[in-house]
Amino acid sequence: MINVIGFVLLLVVGYLFGKYFEKRHYKSIIKREEQFNQLPAIATKYPPQDQVYQQQLVSGGVVIASDYFKSFVAGLINVFGGRVTPFESMLDRGRREAILRMKQNAQAHNANYVFNVKLETSRIATGRLGAIEVLAYGTAMIPAINPISAEQDQPSATPGA
Amino acid sequence: MRYENKQAPEGINVSKVHPLKQFAILVIASVALLLALVLVLQFAGSAVAKRIPFKYEVQLSQKFDIALSTPDAPEEIVTYLNDLADRLAPGLDLIDDFDVQVHYREEDVFNAFATLGGNLLFYRELLRQMPHENALAMVMAHEMAHINHRDPISGLGGGVVSAIGVAMVTGRSGMAEQAFSQTSLLAGMQFTRQMESAADTAALSAVNQLYGHVNGAGVLFELIGDIKADSDAVPDWLERISVTHPLSKDRVAAIKSLALHNGWSEMGELTKLPDAFNDWLRQ
Repeated sequence: MINVIGFVLLLVVGYLFGKYFEKRHYKSIIKREEQFNQLPAIATKYPPQDQVYQQQLVSGGVVIASDYFKSFVAGLINVFGGRVTPFESMLDRGRREAILRMKQNAQAHNANYVFNVKLETSRIATGRLGAIEVLAYGTAMIPAINPISAEQDQPSATPGA
Repeated sequence: MRYENKQAPEGINVSKVHPLKQFAILVIASVALLLALVLVLQFAGSAVAKRIPFKYEVQLSQKFDIALSTPDAPEEIVTYLNDLADRLAPGLDLIDDFDVQVHYREEDVFNAFATLGGNLLFYRELLRQMPHENALAMVMAHEMAHINHRDPISGLGGGVVSAIGVAMVTGRSGMAEQAFSQTSLLAGMQFTRQMESAADTAALSAVNQLYGHVNGAGVLFELIGDIKADSDAVPDWLERISVTHPLSKDRVAAIKSLALHNGWSEMGELTKLPDAFNDWLRQ
């Protein structure tokens, strides 16, 4: 009986807290995405040719845990198959947060853009625990202060180089 | 070229499903699946277990080494109960190697049950409430009929197989262990309503053969009915669908209908219990 009560309690706590934190996280993500709009993160590996840029590797990583309710529902979906919807929002938050942190990193370097952006996801918890790490990384394009020395120091920014 | 990240509309990468709705659907589907699994395994396990010859069931039960009788139980009551069982046996259509051992437990429990290996357990409180031998004979014949129909082994087989099946699905072995444990053997098997009704029918026939009438056979069910009426307030319709034993008043009615159908007399002299019967049921 105690097991059942504990289980139901964990489900309720997981659902309520999970929902609250997810809502709060999304609110913060949307707000920061608007703020970082002037620093585009682009997937292409061909950088802009308008000026000479210094290049800098920037990355942003985040670890997000699943709550008990999400894990339980995902476990049941595993029996019947189908989209694991409880984890969709978790991964979506992870990707967006990682990109935001990468942009924050790029902004610290006074970059204009981040190019060649890539995302990596890995599960970092085993067994019943569900937690993912999402890593976003790319090449920050930082306008060169002294274009001549920048050209000597940095590899050419021309395509195919 | 102009590069920009336009704000994408929300909800593209996340399905719009209410988590609680999804949870409810999944839980209902899982429970239905589990129930279906248990029913199939229960049926299969019970069908297979029923095919085990009775003598092997007896050997198996002896391996459990459980003290079924209360230590130092009065010899007279044990002898009397076993003698009553012997007298009732010819009235039952017995299987090969049929043999029962009646055990007496000095506990104030209003119960009697049949368990593995042809063992019958009678509790003191039930015996104390018996008004005459005919009522006791009906209970005895009912439990003997369970043994004769192989209900304990079939109940155990179904229970163990379904518990193992559930353990395999859920990854929990507790239920299977419990099904094998000695306490669950002592607590008696759970028989289905069909098993109970079949046992009632066979028992009534045996009682009729022994006494020449079925007068007093329904007393136990009337007693159970009275005890239930005193003790709890579960409505009849709820009890009808929720318990494994048929409802007491339904059983009394079934006895009347069976007697009528088979031409068994409901009138006849009641046989007294031995004079010293209550002395045997010592405190």
